[in-house]
Amino acid sequence: MGGFYIDWFGELVAFFAFAVVMIVGAVLMLTLTKVVHMVVSLAAVFLGLGGMFVVLEAEFVAFVQILIYSGAVTILLLFGIMMTDHQAVQHEPTRPVHEIVSAVAAIVLFGILFYAIRTTEFEPSAPPLQAGVDNAMEIGKQLYTQHVIPFELVSVLLTVAFIGAIVIAKKEAE
Amino acid sequence: MLSSYLTMAAILFCIGLYGALSKRNAVIVLMSVELMLNAVNLNLVAFSKYGAVPSLDGQIFSLFTISVAAAEVAVGVAILIALFRSRGTANVDEFDEMRR
Amino acid sequence: MDTVFSQYAWLVPVFPLAAFLILTAFGRGMKRSGPLVATIGSFAALVLSALILFEHMNGADEYNDSFTWIGIGGYSLTAGFDVTNLTALMLIVVSLVAFLVNVYSIGYMKDDERIAVFFGYVALFTFSMLGLVLADNLLTLYIFWELVGVCSFLLIGFWYQKPEAKAAAKKAFIVTRVGDVGLLIALLLLFWYMPDHDLSFAAIENVFGQSGLITEGITTLIAILIFVGAVGKSGQFPLHVWLPDAMEGPTPISALIHAATMVAAGVFLVARTFPIFEASQAALDTVAYVGAFTAIFAASIAIAQNDIKRILAYSTVSQLGYMMMAIGLGSVTAGMFHLFTHAFFKALLFLGAGSVIHAAHTQDIREMGGLGKSMKTTAWTFAIGALALAGIPPLSGFWSKDAILAEALHANPALFAVGIAAALLTAFYMSRLFFLVFAGKPKAGGAAHESPAVMTVPLIVLAVFAVFAGFVEMPFAGAGRLGEWLTGHAAEHEGTALVMLVSTAVGLLGIYLGWLIYVKGAIPRDAVTKRAPWLTRLLERKYYIDEIYHAVFTVSLRAIGRSLDAFDRHVVGGAVRLAGGAAVWTGRAATRMQNGQLQSYGLYVVIGLVILVAAIAGRRFW
Repeated sequence: MGGFYIDWFGELVAFFAFAVVMIVGAVLMLTLTKVVHMVVSLAAVFLGLGGMFVVLEAEFVAFVQILIYSGAVTILLLFGIMMTDHQAVQHEPTRPVHEIVSAVAAIVLFGILFYAIRTTEFEPSAPPLQAGVDNAMEIGKQLYTQHVIPFELVSVLLTVAFIGAIVIAKKEAE
Repeated sequence: MLSSYLTMAAILFCIGLYGALSKRNAVIVLMSVELMLNAVNLNLVAFSKYGAVPSLDGQIFSLFTISVAAAEVAVGVAILIALFRSRGTANVDEFDEMRR
Repeated sequence: MDTVFSQYAWLVPVFPLAAFLILTAFGRGMKRSGPLVATIGSFAALVLSALILFEHMNGADEYNDSFTWIGIGGYSLTAGFDVTNLTALMLIVVSLVAFLVNVYSIGYMKDDERIAVFFGYVALFTFSMLGLVLADNLLTLYIFWELVGVCSFLLIGFWYQKPEAKAAAKKAFIVTRVGDVGLLIALLLLFWYMPDHDLSFAAIENVFGQSGLITEGITTLIAILIFVGAVGKSGQFPLHVWLPDAMEGPTPISALIHAATMVAAGVFLVARTFPIFEASQAALDTVAYVGAFTAIFAASIAIAQNDIKRILAYSTVSQLGYMMMAIGLGSVTAGMFHLFTHAFFKALLFLGAGSVIHAAHTQDIREMGGLGKSMKTTAWTFAIGALALAGIPPLSGFWSKDAILAEALHANPALFAVGIAAALLTAFYMSRLFFLVFAGKPKAGGAAHESPAVMTVPLIVLAVFAVFAGFVEMPFAGAGRLGEWLTGHAAEHEGTALVMLVSTAVGLLGIYLGWLIYVKGAIPRDAVTKRAPWLTRLLERKYYIDEIYHAVFTVSLRAIGRSLDAFDRHVVGGAVRLAGGAAVWTGRAATRMQNGQLQSYGLYVVIGLVILVAAIAGRRFW
């Protein structure tokens, strides 16, 4: 019982730590003025999420998250900023009505989701997943047997995406 | 425990929604959309561990989501760069061709 | 006896109707032949009417034919025609006067641009009046009643460029409408109370002939309402105001419509529905008193008028009052007899007046004089008509007026006194009119010449009738012949010599008075005016009745109309405009939503989603 208690307690602490990081990062993303700073706080959110995946014992996913999101996606976004308007400081005239209404809509949506989460009874039919140490191996097995078709299709998708991106973003031949 | 994770995901999702609807710079809109997708991933993984039928399917699904999101960012940034070159602006509220 | 011609009585109105249709369709090019077509139509009607009359004079039976017009549920409305002795008499009166007026108008309206239209309207009127006479039930009669009113409106306002003519036409229609409402209500009441909802005159006679089938109160009400309709059409007090103004129309139609036929329709209606009146003493009294009052009221106004046609118009109102009085005293015979003779001599007087107006180019008798020297035929025929109207034996007017006065003496001596007084006034104003127009020295610049033959021949024909028509009912030798023939009852009493003497004396006195004032000059013309100017003014201004009606009815109704119009424009129209404005406003608001901004569209999507989810999630609460 003591071990269980500590386990629980540990998970809770870790959860809250990462939660704080994520929320702060998300809020800062919206409120900072320089775009580059916003990208950095977004990266912080991604890192926090990776940590939370670790807490959830999904190490492979956490690894992939950090690799792809806080690595590649963040750099991609920075490139995007650099190529478009990198001294963008958000000081243009505001649209107060629009912003207030969308804030209200978002809050109300959150309220509804929160209400739904609170009132639903989650009755797990089995104890929580114990993926074990060899998390990656298990995922790999599933991927190449049960989910092989989506796997192949995703590779096609990625190819198409990068070819498409090059075609769109390339400068017209002089 | 599950409800905490779900609440966290909901918070992230709504913050991302607000950003997608009200920010003027297109890159920031893209970033908000990424935030929303991340919230979805958190939901998936949480359900894979604590859900009604705990299995690895949730994690695998989230892998696919991450791939697709990455591709989408790439293409999105490419489009943005192309638009910026032809219009000179990256503000979404100046793209109002759908007005008429 | 066989009813050979009565079967075809329905053709009598059809001839003028055909003339009307031809003139309306082709009238534009028929300036020469149009009048001829109309005259032929009315001649055909006259011939057939005469044949029918002779048949009935020889004792033919009543003839009735009808067909089902509308069937509603278990009830059916019929329309048909009735040829009784009464209707045969009216047929001949209407068609004869119509024919003579047609011939006269060929000359009178010769220079008018719209002559074909005029004859078309006259043909339509003849058709309507003949239809009214032949109608066998009250509903059909009402339809023709309205038609006759429309024709009167069209013809009074024939010279519509004149504002007075337009106003007079409107006034005629509106005032008679007031009476027609009474008739309509009576019709509805009858429909309600008659067994089988049968409105035919035969059924009315049956039902009201037996006492007790319909209560006294309802009978009186129906009778009074029918009388209201007659008051409107026949110009009795208080709805007499339209008749003098109707003189704005061409003189031939003043003769046809407003002397001989249409105004007689009121008397005819009361005669036709007499069984209802017979069943209610109160109604009979009302009719008699209103008639008597009108007779003396109109006669008193006539003595102070200066327009030749207006004098004759008030005279018509007065004589119609006599007819109503006769019927009210219980004698349909006397009333119809007077209607019969009055048609001839009044039409004669009007056509003669038309001839005078045609020659002198004025209607004011103070500007006329000495026309007797140059217009011999007109003067002689006019004199015959005037004497007949004044009731001088042995002309027709004497016999018919005598019949009425005899009835009055027997039934209600007070009304006899009123009748005698009115007879005195009648003789006076006619002699005043005659002497001012025809006697004396011709006014300067008189280029008065006799009218053409086409106008004087009808005058002569009418004069013959005015002389001899009275002999059909003489109070001695064959007394009651007309009465028995008309109504089927034997005559009730012989005329008395006293009445004949008194009425003749009164008539001669009136003429003598006129001669004294206007020819001899023994009594100065303004004798009354100097001593009692208010009296002259009162009579001249027709007792200010028009002004009273204007102040009481016209002003208030106009005010109501204006306020309702304002209500309609602002409140009702405002509501409609509000609805329209709301739609436009909504559209404009929606337009502003389409601003091409992706984020706005996204926001609308999110709002919609939130509302939808809230509705579904919140379903557990209601």
